[in-house]
Amino acid sequence: MEDFEFLRHITIGQYVPGHSLIHRLDPRTKLSVFLFITAAITFNISYTANTVLVLTMLLLVALSGISLRYILSGLKPALPLIIALAILQLLFYGEAYVPYGMQSRTLFHWGWIHITNGSVQLVIVSAMRFIELFFLTSLLTNTTTLTDITYGVEDMLRPFSRIGVPSHELSLVATIALRFVPLLAEQLEIIMKAQASRGADIAHRGRLQFVRSARQVSALIVPLFIDAFRRAEDLILAMQARCYVGSRGRTRFVRLRFGPQDYVAYALGLVYSVTMLALRHRFPL
Amino acid sequence: MKEQPFIQINDLHHKYLRGTPLEVTALRGVNMTIYKGESVGIIGRTGAGKSTLVQHFNGLIRPAQSGRVLVDGQDMSDPHLDVRRIRQKVGLVFQHPEQQLFERLVGDDIAFGLKKLGMEPAARRERVKWAMEMVGLDFDSFKDRFTFSLSGGEMRKVALAGVLALRPEVLILDESTSGIDPRGRKELLERLLTLHHEYGVTLVFVSSNMEDVAGLVERVYVMDGGRVVMSGTTRQVFAQPAELRRYGLGVPQVTEVAHELAARGIPLANLPLTVAEGVDEIWRILNS
Repeated sequence: MEDFEFLRHITIGQYVPGHSLIHRLDPRTKLSVFLFITAAITFNISYTANTVLVLTMLLLVALSGISLRYILSGLKPALPLIIALAILQLLFYGEAYVPYGMQSRTLFHWGWIHITNGSVQLVIVSAMRFIELFFLTSLLTNTTTLTDITYGVEDMLRPFSRIGVPSHELSLVATIALRFVPLLAEQLEIIMKAQASRGADIAHRGRLQFVRSARQVSALIVPLFIDAFRRAEDLILAMQARCYVGSRGRTRFVRLRFGPQDYVAYALGLVYSVTMLALRHRFPL
Repeated sequence: MKEQPFIQINDLHHKYLRGTPLEVTALRGVNMTIYKGESVGIIGRTGAGKSTLVQHFNGLIRPAQSGRVLVDGQDMSDPHLDVRRIRQKVGLVFQHPEQQLFERLVGDDIAFGLKKLGMEPAARRERVKWAMEMVGLDFDSFKDRFTFSLSGGEMRKVALAGVLALRPEVLILDESTSGIDPRGRKELLERLLTLHHEYGVTLVFVSSNMEDVAGLVERVYVMDGGRVVMSGTTRQVFAQPAELRRYGLGVPQVTEVAHELAARGIPLANLPLTVAEGVDEIWRILNS
């Protein structure tokens, strides 16, 4: 049976109201810790460190009060992609890839296929990293409203405005882009429902009929883009009608303020990430 | 003929974003029957669950959660059901016409469903021509126009024609008269009445405009908070202005006048729903 409710499967970027410790943190704290941990995840190839990172993510989810099932439900649509990538990496990556800090050993070799201990590690760690980053991004966006993220990004970029970085405008662009994601999902739902109502065969799309699915997607993309442009034009008009001129001389109703919990969280995040990065030398495996 | 139920809804519930922290309940136990060949109105304020309900009528939403939907004798919760056959019988026109046109040319857009049915090009052309005449669009001058260059009213006509071309037995209009000018609205209502009377099309008319409902349908369901709270013939429902007001609705202006006159001691013999009926009633009082 077809399901037109796309928003149910998009959990990243969806704010889930709550009063947990993580919800209450200053957005700048959350954004900074997000960046620290992202760095720790990106530069870690060891099994040990990644296991610790996965456990940390689970702990953070528990702290946020958001149900684990909800976050995992967003991961489900991405699973086929993760698995396909893992298989490709496993089969064809062995020859070129030299793992950090260890001897390369061939485990299996047949024709093009070349599996080494390094490529096995790469596959497992890549999957773990993907899951960690997915959790981290979900946590940030599920516990922080879009407005707060925008204010946070704007404030964090402000020091760079001296060298000509338009911090306000950049954060505005990011906000609008994020704001359009659920709108596009809704619009896609409407177009697919309109097509289905007139006899388009959306239910019986075979999993392996790539050409047909591609053709159906193209029938959706064009109206979707036209609608997005129309919305963008409306938005420009609305901004001009309200005399929007960018950041110059603009004051703000909400002022972000660091509380004691923010200093603690910031310090913990920094120490944690540095420790994780150090771990990669201590435990290369 | 009218006694044969076409759509039967039993204790239907629906939740959006089910299983997420953002779950919203849209329907809580709806019961409704729509008979073959009748015209029914569904009214209620925004958020009452009207659109969610009518999307069950053609299988865009299937009763996966609880409740039963029977359309033309078929149980809609059956996963092996050929919904395309149901969707050809039950045509649904949505609220925003500019969001449901997806082909480049008007003619192609109206022919979309026919092409999916595998109809011959010559027959397709005839059917598109018929559908365009039904909604009042000139075939020769409109068939090769770009859909995205049309005006709002024209888009609405094209959207309606695209559904009509499939010759549905039931036509559902979800707030399809909002945002058109008075003349376009009058024309559209007249065309719907023609379809209903001459072609025997069953009409399900979802609206928040009481005048349109009064002039078009025989029976009315009132929805509020995901439930059916009132039902009856159009006259029975509009005879209870106080209840309707409680649900954020009202009665047609003529009917309002009649209720006011009755409150001041001048009861009319019959409750008028349209301006013509109102004029007749007042004329009768003035002459007596």
